[in-house]
Amino acid sequence: MSRVALGIVAVAAMLLAAPVARAQSAAQTAKDAASQAPAAVRPPPGGTISAADSVLEARTSALASTLRCPVCQGLSIQDSPSELAQQMRSVVRDHLAAGKTDREVRAYFISKYGEWILLSPQPYGFNLLVYALPVFLLVGGLGFVVMKVRSWTAVSANGVAAEGAAAAIAGQASEPEQGTASPVD
Amino acid sequence: MTRLVAVDALWFALIACAVGGIVAPIAIARGKRQWLPFAQAAVYANFALVTIATGAMMWALATHDFSISYVAQVGSRATPLFYTVISLWGALEGSILFWAWVLALYSAIVVYTNRNRPGNLVPYAASALLIIALFFHILLVGPANPFHLVSPVPLDGPGPNPLLQNHILMAVHPPLLYLGYVGMSVPFAFAVGALLSGEAGSDGWIRLTRRWTLLAWAFLAAAIIAGMWWSYEVLGWGGYWAWDPVENASFIPFLTATAFLHSVMVQERRGMLKLWNINLVVGTFALTILGTFLTRSGIISSVHAFTQGTIGYYFLAFIAVVLIGSAILIAGNSDSLRTDGRFDAPVARESVFLLNNLLLTVFMFTVLVGTLFPLVAEAARGVKVSVGEPFFNRMTLPVIVALLFLMGVGPALPWKRGSIEDLKVKMIPGTIVGVILAAIVLLLGTRNVYGVLAFAFAGFAGTLNIGEYVIGVRARRAAHGESVLTALRRLFGANQRRYGGYVAHLGIIVVAVGIAASSTFRTEREATLKPGETMTLGKVTARLKDVWGRNEPQRDVIGATVELLAASGEPYAVLSPRMNIYPMSDQPIPTPDVRSTPFGDTYMNLMSFREDGSSATIKIINEPLVPWIWFGGGVICLGALISGWPTRRSA
Repeated sequence: MSRVALGIVAVAAMLLAAPVARAQSAAQTAKDAASQAPAAVRPPPGGTISAADSVLEARTSALASTLRCPVCQGLSIQDSPSELAQQMRSVVRDHLAAGKTDREVRAYFISKYGEWILLSPQPYGFNLLVYALPVFLLVGGLGFVVMKVRSWTAVSANGVAAEGAAAAIAGQASEPEQGTASPVD
Repeated sequence: MTRLVAVDALWFALIACAVGGIVAPIAIARGKRQWLPFAQAAVYANFALVTIATGAMMWALATHDFSISYVAQVGSRATPLFYTVISLWGALEGSILFWAWVLALYSAIVVYTNRNRPGNLVPYAASALLIIALFFHILLVGPANPFHLVSPVPLDGPGPNPLLQNHILMAVHPPLLYLGYVGMSVPFAFAVGALLSGEAGSDGWIRLTRRWTLLAWAFLAAAIIAGMWWSYEVLGWGGYWAWDPVENASFIPFLTATAFLHSVMVQERRGMLKLWNINLVVGTFALTILGTFLTRSGIISSVHAFTQGTIGYYFLAFIAVVLIGSAILIAGNSDSLRTDGRFDAPVARESVFLLNNLLLTVFMFTVLVGTLFPLVAEAARGVKVSVGEPFFNRMTLPVIVALLFLMGVGPALPWKRGSIEDLKVKMIPGTIVGVILAAIVLLLGTRNVYGVLAFAFAGFAGTLNIGEYVIGVRARRAAHGESVLTALRRLFGANQRRYGGYVAHLGIIVVAVGIAASSTFRTEREATLKPGETMTLGKVTARLKDVWGRNEPQRDVIGATVELLAASGEPYAVLSPRMNIYPMSDQPIPTPDVRSTPFGDTYMNLMSFREDGSSATIKIINEPLVPWIWFGGGVICLGALISGWPTRRSA
């Protein structure tokens, strides 16, 4: 029994001590760092970035974020910090720099890894299902809700509200939305 | 000894659940109400026995009793005691044991707090909880038995999965997740109780269920946010959500539970949507089991799925039993679930709740279909496909934006009958704030449509929800002449559920702004530096000071010391991104370091290093407003707490 109590106390102590230990080690690291002599400041490597480079970078990261990192389950090669993802990203950059289109680069990776490499299924054939099913549910559900609200308001509001029901529900969702969203469009 | 105690406890718990689970239905059917206390006793006995088994496992972990298979699997003498004990939920068998314990705890609380309630609802609900527990006990003595005897006894074990012993949040996220997931069993049990006792058409079970759903929902929300935080702090990619199957599995029941928390108000106020609500309760529970099946059976691989085995079929069978059983019960009660209620007018809060339920259902369905599609495609075409972030973002962002809009409109509309004119007036301040926010983010240079829309509608909804407090406080001041603070306090007191709900709305808006800002304005830079060299990202200038190595008992650590420099060249902060190398893992575990301010984080990761310490590749990510996500998660829970806090009046 006393061993159990001791164990409980030990666990509680660990729970309490863990953040403290963390803080201490952080403080220690900071102290270690501070105790070393400061080094000279040098200019950042790489120099300035030209406009063409930044366009290439933007294209590379856009394309890389649609390609799956094969070793990390779910992350894109843009997001993944793994070494393989970094290599694949530079392959993407090289291909784009060599004048290939996004489509060609994607086709290259599909030929190498299969369709699996795309994080978003290609929208044709059987794959259309995954895009269409949610849309069907939305459209069908919207129709169902409008129908229900119509029938639920038909008697109590003397028919006047019934006619306006569908329009009002639809209007409620879209009309003010356009109002606030207009500066974007 | 520990092993035998635990195994016996689990077997007795299994018997208690099996017997207790059938006692109540038989007692009620035969009119022997004097038998019902046996079912109650079984619930308490189950809790005591599973507590013994769980305690035995923690003891075995803490004392490195490698004769027990689970300890031999996840324990190691080098792992710190804290991470050893929390590895209770680090692998499949232990997490099933922990699940069974949480379920036993909830069951005991449900039975105890409702012990004086007349009628058959609670005995039937207790039966349902015992039968669910029986399923987990079958797993625990069968395919997921953590207490197998290992012989000969190994001297040491491999230790927990490296990803699970690398961060303190592993002590927080899984328990919260189980409290949320398992909590959804209680509303389901009440639904079964209501259907069996013929109370499904009355409001009593809904009142019981509502607060339990809110509790489980709040735990699930906290768990999801804590999981995002863990992902951010441990996985080293600077993100917090990847639409990974395990993340989706926790998010899917959260969406249906959110839908229920709204639609249940329509049932309470208008006596409508009874059939829909009971389906949401059953569906939410089934989705928690489906989520567990997807992530624990190894059928879908994921970064968070640390466990797999052959227990998938047990889960599938259990889901089938749950769905078929519920369908039969619901069909048998179709008369009492039918409602002939009416709406007074189409423009009213009821209608917004219908649209909110539609959008949440579509959201849930989209995530579910996307998560399952790789399985379906492989079965149908024999081709592996991936469904990842680009798909989920494209499909769900429009729904999220529409939900933010409804979140502003709903509170502004009255029950029963609203007017478009009043609504338009109420929406003016929100629209102005939304337009200003949209203009600001456009001026800041983003052309990401959903980024702009998310800011606009978050601003819109936030203003309208705050507007409800302003209107309420003004009304109280006008009527009673109270001070602002007194008026605000009494406003919460008078309708804690409603105003607590708006607090939860504000929490979600804060999270939405954090996500929108960090995904729209994130910038990053990677560079290879020699000690003393600097790199610059926006306003951040970082100087590599040195690269160091350190041996710890359970791992080797390589780190870089990087100073953040002020304009004067003086360091104002030191970050130490590391790589932790565990013996059982061939890949180093990145351990980024983060400097947080209320406006955003500087996130730094050590990508690679020269072994002689002559250079290191550092990635710096500028993450605007990320801490808002964690803060918003806290606000959501606060809102749920205010909303569900028991008062004398509601008890």
